[in-house]
Amino acid sequence: MLLQQLINGITLGSVYALIALGYSMVYGILELINFAHGEIYMLGAYFGIIFFGFLTVLGVTNYSIFLSLILTFLLSIMFCSAYGFTIEKIAYKPLRNSTRLSPLISAIGVSIFLQNYVMLTQGATDKVFPNLFGARGFYFLSIRMTYIQLFIIIVSILIMIFLRLFIRRTKIGKAMRAVAQDKTMASLVGINIDTIISITFIIGSALAAVAGLMVAMYYGLVNYFIGYIAGIKAFTAAVLGGIGSIRGAMVGGLLLGLVESLGGSYISGEYKDAYAFVILIIILLVKPGGLFRKAELEKV
Amino acid sequence: MLKLANVHTFYGNIEALSGINLEVNQGEIVCLIGNNGAGKSTTLMTISGILRPVKGEILFEGESIKNIPPHKIVEKGISQVPEGRRIFPKLTVMENLEMGAFLGKGNFDEMLKRIFTLFPVLKERQNQTGGTLSGGEQQMLAISRALMSSPKLLLLDEPSLGLAPIIVNKIFTTIKEINHEGVTILLVEQNAMAALKLSHRGYVIENGRIAFEGESKFLINNEKVRKAYLGD
Repeated sequence: MLLQQLINGITLGSVYALIALGYSMVYGILELINFAHGEIYMLGAYFGIIFFGFLTVLGVTNYSIFLSLILTFLLSIMFCSAYGFTIEKIAYKPLRNSTRLSPLISAIGVSIFLQNYVMLTQGATDKVFPNLFGARGFYFLSIRMTYIQLFIIIVSILIMIFLRLFIRRTKIGKAMRAVAQDKTMASLVGINIDTIISITFIIGSALAAVAGLMVAMYYGLVNYFIGYIAGIKAFTAAVLGGIGSIRGAMVGGLLLGLVESLGGSYISGEYKDAYAFVILIIILLVKPGGLFRKAELEKV
Repeated sequence: MLKLANVHTFYGNIEALSGINLEVNQGEIVCLIGNNGAGKSTTLMTISGILRPVKGEILFEGESIKNIPPHKIVEKGISQVPEGRRIFPKLTVMENLEMGAFLGKGNFDEMLKRIFTLFPVLKERQNQTGGTLSGGEQQMLAISRALMSSPKLLLLDEPSLGLAPIIVNKIFTTIKEINHEGVTILLVEQNAMAALKLSHRGYVIENGRIAFEGESKFLINNEKVRKAYLGD
């Protein structure tokens, strides 16, 4: 039972972590809480359904499910990144030199806009993502794990390893850290701040797209409102780890997933969504900087 | 090489520069001295494109640079070591240097070699984060980082600030060396005596305007300059 819930929690937590990374990266660079980020995740799920449906009509899914999935992921990532990029240019960049509150309000506006946009164009009812793996799975040390859970965990871990290497080792990754630490100085060494900010939004949106698509595959159901609750939970995860910290977002996401899953089975499933907010309140009261504040905030 | 003509810059609502005229010729060390708040750093930040002049013209090698973004100005060959050094505290020494070479001008390994000859201590510290360095080491790193972009013109803002005299000497000797290697230098200093001794020409800035200018050896002997800035 415990181990079973751990697996469920890690699955859920991986998804939160992927979304939380987007919050944290943007916060690290712009000190902006991008409340529209959850909507990107929702769009990722919708694009997944749309493109997978499209590929089904074209007959690609009959040819190879694997290929179709790869194409669906790539297309969804591309479209979500384009959305993220555009949102920054339209809604945040013009406000960059204004008060801190303005872009935050703008973000909430974008979030409401995107929810309604999807509701109007896609309808208010649940959409279904085809169940590809069924409930198939395997037993490991007497725990049952479905293939889709395994898929989510493996993909998330790979993405996080890749992201960490990107930020630690590549020139762009180092430039992102430099911009997060001192924007003026970064531009004085010749870094184009606007480009780095755009890249940050593109990467964050790509991660959210993957998360959205995986959740669509996991639960099978998607509606225009899923970004709201997932966004707030991922935001909680980011705050839990210490917003702005990459490592914090990963650990915070996993912890939140575990708490939800364990709390849901040992305390009460009814309050599943409330645990995140209880955690948020406790963290803000006890350790407002998050878990990784002391261990030197690794901002990006 | 660099020419500022009647440059006016606002810092918030305050007019920090009210008509600066200044020229730096190829190969020179020019110093800009003056009291706190006179507009020295604002002048450098305006040249680097961080602050925008509301009036006037800035020419670099005959080309106007007053409306181009900071990273393009670096690309043109103007690098700045800002006040307070502004090392990226959580990047290692090596990563700081890599950021200096972000634009990829010149051969990285050769430049690194040159910098490690200028400041051997940076080689020992290369895997430490910038924030753990001493003030003097940070200043050396800041200068090195600026050199990594192979600048034609190096802007230095208060390189001696808060450093022990022995380190200041080392830094000033290095500035001279860098200049000998062909880099033109515009040096902002509160330590007027040291700056005038090092430079070929000097400008004295007061309340956002140039009050005196001339060859440094004459400025040192100028009665008014001595009274106001050299503590006579």
